[in-house]
Amino acid sequence: MNDVALHLSETLDHILASIPQFKPEFALIIVFLFSIIATLFTDRFWKQSSFFVSIIGYIISFFSLLPQLHQPTSGFFGMLVIDDFSVFARGIIVFALLVSTIFIQQHFKSKISQKNLGDVYTVLLTAGLGLNLLTITTNWLLVFIAIETLSISSYILVGYFSENKKQSEAAMKYVLFGAVCSAVMLYGLSLLYGFTGNLDFTSSAHIQGLTAAPQVMTTIALLFVFTGIGFKLSFVPFHAWAPDVYEGAPTPVTAFLSTVPKVGAIVLLARVTQAWTTSLFYFGELTILFITVVAIITMLAGNLIALRQHNMKRMMAYSSIGHTGFLLMAVLVAPSGDPAILLFYLCAYVLMNLAAFAFIDALEQKTGATELESYAGLGKKMPIIFTGFTFIGISLIGLPPTVGFVGKLLVFSSVFERHQSSGDLPYLALLITGALTSVISLFYYFKIPLYAFLRGGQSEQNNHASVTLIVVIGIILTSLVFGIGIFPDLLLGLFK
Amino acid sequence: MGLLSLLIFLPLIATTIILLLPSSLRDSYKYIALGFTIAQFTLAGYMYSQFDAAASGVDTVSGYQFVEHLSWIRMDLGTLGKLEIDYFLGVDGFSLPLLALSAFVMLMAIGASWNITKSLKGYFSLLMILNVAVMGIFCALDFFLFYVFYEVMLLPLYFLIGIWGGARREYAAIKFFIYTLFGSVFMLLVIVGLYFSVTNPLTGAHTFNMLHMMNPANYVENSFFGYINNYNEVFGISARMIGFIVLFFAFAIKVPIVPLHTWLPDAHVEAPTPVSIILAGILLKVGGYGIIRICLSIFPDAAVEANWWLGLIGIISIIYGALNALAQKDLKRLIAYSSVSHMGFVLLGIASLTAEGISGAMFQMISHGFLSAALFFLVGVIYDRVHDRYIYNFRGLTSLMPKYTGYVAIAFFASLGLPGFSAFIGEAFVIIGTFNSESVGTGIPRWMAIAGSLGILLSAAYFLWTLQRMFFGETRLKGGEEWASALVDLNKREQLILFPTLALALLLGVIPSLIFDNLNSSVLNLVALVKQYI
Repeated sequence: MNDVALHLSETLDHILASIPQFKPEFALIIVFLFSIIATLFTDRFWKQSSFFVSIIGYIISFFSLLPQLHQPTSGFFGMLVIDDFSVFARGIIVFALLVSTIFIQQHFKSKISQKNLGDVYTVLLTAGLGLNLLTITTNWLLVFIAIETLSISSYILVGYFSENKKQSEAAMKYVLFGAVCSAVMLYGLSLLYGFTGNLDFTSSAHIQGLTAAPQVMTTIALLFVFTGIGFKLSFVPFHAWAPDVYEGAPTPVTAFLSTVPKVGAIVLLARVTQAWTTSLFYFGELTILFITVVAIITMLAGNLIALRQHNMKRMMAYSSIGHTGFLLMAVLVAPSGDPAILLFYLCAYVLMNLAAFAFIDALEQKTGATELESYAGLGKKMPIIFTGFTFIGISLIGLPPTVGFVGKLLVFSSVFERHQSSGDLPYLALLITGALTSVISLFYYFKIPLYAFLRGGQSEQNNHASVTLIVVIGIILTSLVFGIGIFPDLLLGLFK
Repeated sequence: MGLLSLLIFLPLIATTIILLLPSSLRDSYKYIALGFTIAQFTLAGYMYSQFDAAASGVDTVSGYQFVEHLSWIRMDLGTLGKLEIDYFLGVDGFSLPLLALSAFVMLMAIGASWNITKSLKGYFSLLMILNVAVMGIFCALDFFLFYVFYEVMLLPLYFLIGIWGGARREYAAIKFFIYTLFGSVFMLLVIVGLYFSVTNPLTGAHTFNMLHMMNPANYVENSFFGYINNYNEVFGISARMIGFIVLFFAFAIKVPIVPLHTWLPDAHVEAPTPVSIILAGILLKVGGYGIIRICLSIFPDAAVEANWWLGLIGIISIIYGALNALAQKDLKRLIAYSSVSHMGFVLLGIASLTAEGISGAMFQMISHGFLSAALFFLVGVIYDRVHDRYIYNFRGLTSLMPKYTGYVAIAFFASLGLPGFSAFIGEAFVIIGTFNSESVGTGIPRWMAIAGSLGILLSAAYFLWTLQRMFFGETRLKGGEEWASALVDLNKREQLILFPTLALALLLGVIPSLIFDNLNSSVLNLVALVKQYI
């Protein structure tokens, strides 16, 4: 008894000491509670109270992140690992969540809905919590909890506003697909735990256990685990839900889904890859092989299928699948302990996608449609939106002078460096695929200016181009995309 | 801010002004564009007159003039080394004549844009952005900077062809874009490869500086594109050769070479006249310039091995382009194919790797630059009046438009290589260079020179035949009386553009030293650089 009591006080001390490291997430939890209260009570008097509560929450969370910079530490018995990588990733996540929240508020401002918006902000906060956890852990158990928190929040976000059959179908598909993937992942994790008796994927016990286990079983377990991550990242062949969900969900929710969860999942994948590929055992090679093959297929499939899309949101879904392939390539070559290039590309990706969805949403509010054909001839009526949108397209292709180009160049550089030092042909294949898919992507991104500027539309409807907040955000993001494209060291210097 | 920066970014000021002015002042846009382009042309002319012809250029900084060197992006990328990207501009004998040519052709293009009425604001601002990019390409000495300008050039062109073009403009615009981008994304991979292979001897950092890439001593041992002990192979071809091939094709698409030329007729036919002028006058030269500045200077060893193939591609382009031109019924398509044929001479001259051949290639680029611009302008004149340019729809135009016929005849004779005009000098030097190549030992057989002369013969055939079909004989027009009244002779503005252009063709034909003097030491330096590997 005494023994336990002794341990108990030590344990309690450790937990108490760990709490300060948990501050940014703690802030989100507290604000989550406040947000519920605001939704229940104060929204009746002031409709925007829950919105402002969550905005303040993100700002607090962001500022409580800052002291953690350059202070690598761990807490809660190694469950949390705080390093610069996670600090930057959480910074990106919180920024993207903040922008998404504003999108949601703006999107539904003009719509009369029976649904209570406060719940959405609340759910977004829990999604943020899940994502934050995903970036600061190397423990499979916590990873699973984080992924589930994120998934369940995402299901709610997608399904909450469903008004017609198509949207309900999208939500249903998402839930079913997600549930199966989670289950498979959990099974894979249980196998891993069985082999190793340790859930920390960076620990030596874990790696030794994996080496000792039968090769077939380890391989199956790894593939199962990657299924769960693959669902969140929507790489091929776990991408099937993305287009339907992206199309069915309200545009701001799509903006959230296409950017933020990927940041968390990529960070996790990068940690796993770094932990395993630095060991010389076969599953390291297996991981490399798996990611290489998946990256190539994902880039090709995403970009090729995007060519055939007529709905802007569906097109963006496939475009983001293509970018996932590119991100996988960046993950593969991110040197351990120096994720600057990966972070740069993630940041570029988040900026570009948020800006793209800002414009899509602005156009949806003005024309009521997200079909590419509906953009015909609008370039002259809304020159600002479409000039910005064209710029984002250019950046998504990876042409200078935009942040997309610099990101692509940096990733190509790291892959090339790997090829030069190892001489492995798969890296060359990755490079060629990356270059080729940039050309392919030109076809569909340029459909935006093609319809907007090159095609004449029917001119009977007269949309007056009022500048809304969402357009302003889109323009700010676009100028960031442009500015960082010319002076990339502004952003890259930050990650040092 | 140096003169070159001023030259490059002057049009950007024009863009800003045009974008800021309200649409009620739309008539002033063309005057703003004209004013800035004249200023730019004056500046280019001033620089041309101040150029020290003794400077050798190519691979040493001291050989360049008007050099501007600022550090732009400095990043420590950990295992990837230090990133070193500079804002590095300079001109030598290769780039300065092309710079002056670009300023001149831009002026012509603005002059040809006088009758554009559709969305003037967008049109002139895009034209000015294009101007910035083109000037930047010819000045950039940092590969990264070069690439940025190279890609930025594509965007305004896409819109200029796509919005102001003809019936199949969407197709032509995207085709043009895809062809060029296809070449340039793979160029990007080679740039990355070069970056890792080359270090700056002063700082030890990896660099995008082109001049450092030209010096074998700066290559890291065992690097991908390294000179010494390089056994890297891609698909069984040595790494340096693959780098050369990729870069060559990226630029050859622009030149264009047969069989990668198919974007050119489409783009030309659909593009509005001013854009055709820029395409033929400047953009094709970007290809030739790229081959000289980058392929030849950075990969001289591979160039020496591959030059037989380059020559062959040049010959095929000359003959195939000329034969195609013979078969065309659309006047603009005919001139587009004649461009393919004439640019083949550029490639042949470069492939000869002799001083005569490379000088000839450069001279041919300059000469073709304003002659093809004049030809497209002349097509534009007739198209403006009756919106038709089908050769067989016109006959006996001489009596209706005597001045026009005069200009067309001079332009045709100048283009087909009549002695006394600039094209003759260019083609003659290319053929002399090719002929001498065998005795110098650069490996271009003499039959290629003979095949090249055959191209001149063919160009005489299609130009003279067209002259005969359209201008001589009894007046007979498809549109009848309506056309006859629409086809008025050249006005003052059109003559103001055409006269200096054709006068320049004559002037350079009589006094070629105006170009050769500034060109010579750079050419000799390049030949010396390449000669080490023969």
